[in-house]
Amino acid sequence: MLPAISVRGLGIRFNRNRKRRISPKDLVLRRAAPATEFWALRNVSFDVNAGEAVGLVGANGQGKSTLLRLIAGVLLPDEGSVTVNGGVAPLIEVTGGFVGDLTARDNIELTAGLHGLSRREIQSRFDEIVDFAEIGDFLDTPFRHFSSGMKVRLGFSVITSIDEPIVLVDEVLAVGDRNFREKCYKRMEDLLSENRTLFLVSHSERDLKRFCTRGIYLRKGELVADGELGTVLDRYREEDVDPDDPDRLRPARDRPEDEDQEESS
Amino acid sequence: MLGEVSSARIAALWSRRQILTLLVTRDLKVKYADSVLGYFWSVLEPMLMAAVYWTVFTQIFSRSVGREPYLLFLVTGIFPWYWANGVLHQAVKALNRDSRLVRSTNLPREIWVFRTVASLGVEFVLTIPVIAAIALAYHNEVSINLGFLLLVPLAVLIETILLVGVGLILAPVAVVFPDIERVMRAATRFLFYASPVLYGVQDVPHAFRNIYIINPLAGIFDLYRSVFFSEQFAGWTATMVAALNSCLVFAIGAAVFAGLERRILKEI
Repeated sequence: MLPAISVRGLGIRFNRNRKRRISPKDLVLRRAAPATEFWALRNVSFDVNAGEAVGLVGANGQGKSTLLRLIAGVLLPDEGSVTVNGGVAPLIEVTGGFVGDLTARDNIELTAGLHGLSRREIQSRFDEIVDFAEIGDFLDTPFRHFSSGMKVRLGFSVITSIDEPIVLVDEVLAVGDRNFREKCYKRMEDLLSENRTLFLVSHSERDLKRFCTRGIYLRKGELVADGELGTVLDRYREEDVDPDDPDRLRPARDRPEDEDQEESS
Repeated sequence: MLGEVSSARIAALWSRRQILTLLVTRDLKVKYADSVLGYFWSVLEPMLMAAVYWTVFTQIFSRSVGREPYLLFLVTGIFPWYWANGVLHQAVKALNRDSRLVRSTNLPREIWVFRTVASLGVEFVLTIPVIAAIALAYHNEVSINLGFLLLVPLAVLIETILLVGVGLILAPVAVVFPDIERVMRAATRFLFYASPVLYGVQDVPHAFRNIYIINPLAGIFDLYRSVFFSEQFAGWTATMVAALNSCLVFAIGAAVFAGLERRILKEI
């Protein structure tokens, strides 16, 4: 059977400079990378089988989100390849597809349509999307008037309703109040029970343990560990030595239940 | 290898044609539904421009170029010019304007250029009844050439190919080279006078005409205009050159876009 996701020798480089000049020559010739460029990911290879749930761990800025974007196809690699067998539901920047001036109704249709749902599919799922997002009274309100919580709820609701076999999740589970978070967890578990492939980026050990069985650990753009989640988390905890980094992996017991609402973007 | 890649791309784009329809409908909805006078506005601007040029060149300057009725002669050039002008201005923003949409979906990125050309193209087609109404008002002075009327879809097709090609060049280049937006203002003004809008191709001195028709807009506008002014048709050479050059621009655009796609995804 074909793996759901196959990553081979993956590499991507970014420009360290803020400036993004380009000379007309660059349009014609493909030149060697200048010294200001760095590799955000390099030599990353792994396979994910259909139905597997993989947690991606690593400190901030080590390439986790970049890897997720490459799998989602919204970034293209400079080296190597990503092969994805089946459609992808990217829960990355879930509010990214929304247009401020359009109403929630129009936005649902637009975003769901951009992610490949047909008109009929959108119509049949419309009520469910609205119910889940709890925005029933604001259907005809322009999106820019929404509170940040409503925006994220609507985004999560739309993207999880696109019926794709591979689900990519980037930190969006930590959004909304506690009730909504529980709803999200529930929805995620439903998705997983339907034998979907999950790829999850999270700093929360609890979330990782709840959904994933396999872990992939990235450091400085390189894959340093790939295996059973518990083992990978142990390895990460050993090496993750910077206690001042507020975003380092939070052990489950440190995370209070009534934690404040977090924004992820 | 390259052929394989581009045929896979064309297949990917074809399978997403519904999404293009969705985006174009959305654009028109935003433009037309938000104001009561939606359609009126999209006609008003080119009409106003036609009125200004008509006043200047019939009441103030004496004019030896173009044909009578000059108002009809003007609108048959200005309306298709407005489509080209709109694409030149909006293509540089095609990827930046909806950068969040571009970043969060894995659609073939060319779709954002197609959408710009198609939205403005639909608007242009919707303004054709205005040209018909003006022609009707002058029905004593002009006659319709049926042959050229049947060729209007061909002119629309050539202009579409040209504008998509130009858009595929401008959109990615504008992401990495933002100054191009400012350059466009001067460039479109130059192009306006270098295209047969205020005058016809036949008004261009013979000595320059071969160079002049390299601008594909010359052959394209000439084709539109010949529906009412067939006696001033500049000949099939201009049409052929326009078609060939448009395909050439399209090919260059496809190559530039493919070459810069990786890079622009990192930048936006």
